[in-house]
Amino acid sequence: MQDIRLRAGAAAFLSLAAFASVTGAVVVFIWWLVFSRPLQVIRKMRMVIPAIILVVFFGFVLELTGGGGVSYCVRMTVIILIGAWVYTGYRQGEFTRLGVWLLGKKTGFDFGMVAEMGLQSLELMVSDLSRIRQAQELKGTRRGIRSLVPAGSILIHGALRRADETAELMAIRGYHRGGSYCPVFETPVKDIVAGIAALCMGIIAFIPVSEFFILYH
Amino acid sequence: MKVSLAGVQAVRGDWSLSAQGTFGEGIHLVSGDVGSGKSTLALLLSGLFPPASGTVEREGIISAMISFQFPEFHVTGPDLERECKAWGVDPGSVLAAAGLAGRETADPLDLSRGELKRLVLACVLARDHDLLILDEPFSSLDCTEKERLCAVLSGRMRGITVILTHEQAHFPRVDRIWEIQDGTLRDRGRLPSALGHWDHAPALVKDLIARGKVPANIAQADLLEAACRI
Repeated sequence: MQDIRLRAGAAAFLSLAAFASVTGAVVVFIWWLVFSRPLQVIRKMRMVIPAIILVVFFGFVLELTGGGGVSYCVRMTVIILIGAWVYTGYRQGEFTRLGVWLLGKKTGFDFGMVAEMGLQSLELMVSDLSRIRQAQELKGTRRGIRSLVPAGSILIHGALRRADETAELMAIRGYHRGGSYCPVFETPVKDIVAGIAALCMGIIAFIPVSEFFILYH
Repeated sequence: MKVSLAGVQAVRGDWSLSAQGTFGEGIHLVSGDVGSGKSTLALLLSGLFPPASGTVEREGIISAMISFQFPEFHVTGPDLERECKAWGVDPGSVLAAAGLAGRETADPLDLSRGELKRLVLACVLARDHDLLILDEPFSSLDCTEKERLCAVLSGRMRGITVILTHEQAHFPRVDRIWEIQDGTLRDRGRLPSALGHWDHAPALVKDLIARGKVPANIAQADLLEAACRI
């Protein structure tokens, strides 16, 4: 989806639908298979697989301890897949466009810019983490919980320092609040089709299945 | 002891780097613009980044070490003493060498970037590695520290040392110069003959060559000696 308004809206709606019930998660998964180019999403965001493995692990524990693990697993996996679809479709500047469109040139611009900075910071953190792991490997540090603590500490420290430096630079350049940005959106027909399909999937998820099958009554 | 690159190609998205050549014992200087692929070459040589095609072969190398441009990536210890121990070096002598004696309990991430760089370089240089790769070792250091580092590196008697930098003023005595241009690693040969083909040569070196006073090497003392011949 090229139009961030439709992508963000569809993502919010589909996530809610997937979270609401297993049926919802299944229909949202079908939508994801049809409209998100699944192979491309997984190839671009390889973190999806370890994230799903983690969810499966917690689901298994939940199933053993109190039940509901399977439902948790299915719903969370689909939400992760939707998140990955949103993330892989991201193009620089589109959250600023969305923010301005939603909340105007002052508050909206600020929110959009913060979202952009957050995403850029996330990308830098991923590349930093890869270097940290390489450095740890050279030092002979074994991978595990003990190696995650210093890595996390460096990542947080780095992110805070970058945020501080960016804030200072913006203040020096005279930034106070808001901007004069006028967003322009492109909405191809296939985006509209995918958006309508997401809406339908959401409706199916929230309405009891039996309502659709009149003969069942 | 050598590292050979045969038809190596590293790919990152739309960008790629081609490399061919052999890094034998001695000090190698790899220069290139920012973003030319020096860090990628460093990772290829260290074996941390697999090439998309071609081979990187190491012969006779038992221990290899790389110092990254950003020293914070190396930090694993909560304080300077434990950080040194994590490198397997003696904290007392290394902290003294890095000018950080008496700060054993300080958090490494509370140091300035320059101090942390000094610490990491001191830890890296405290052990005798067969293959030592230094990615931008002079960044964040002041002139005094750069010269001190050059003296230490010039004194390395064995092993392969590869320095990847866009530094233009401070160099140790090097044996061979390489350049990365247009996505390709180019071997400029041994010194001093390499100086005539070195496109990224500092202005002073180019000026000396233009005047017919070719320096024997690129350390400050060699450049001064050549300048005195004018």
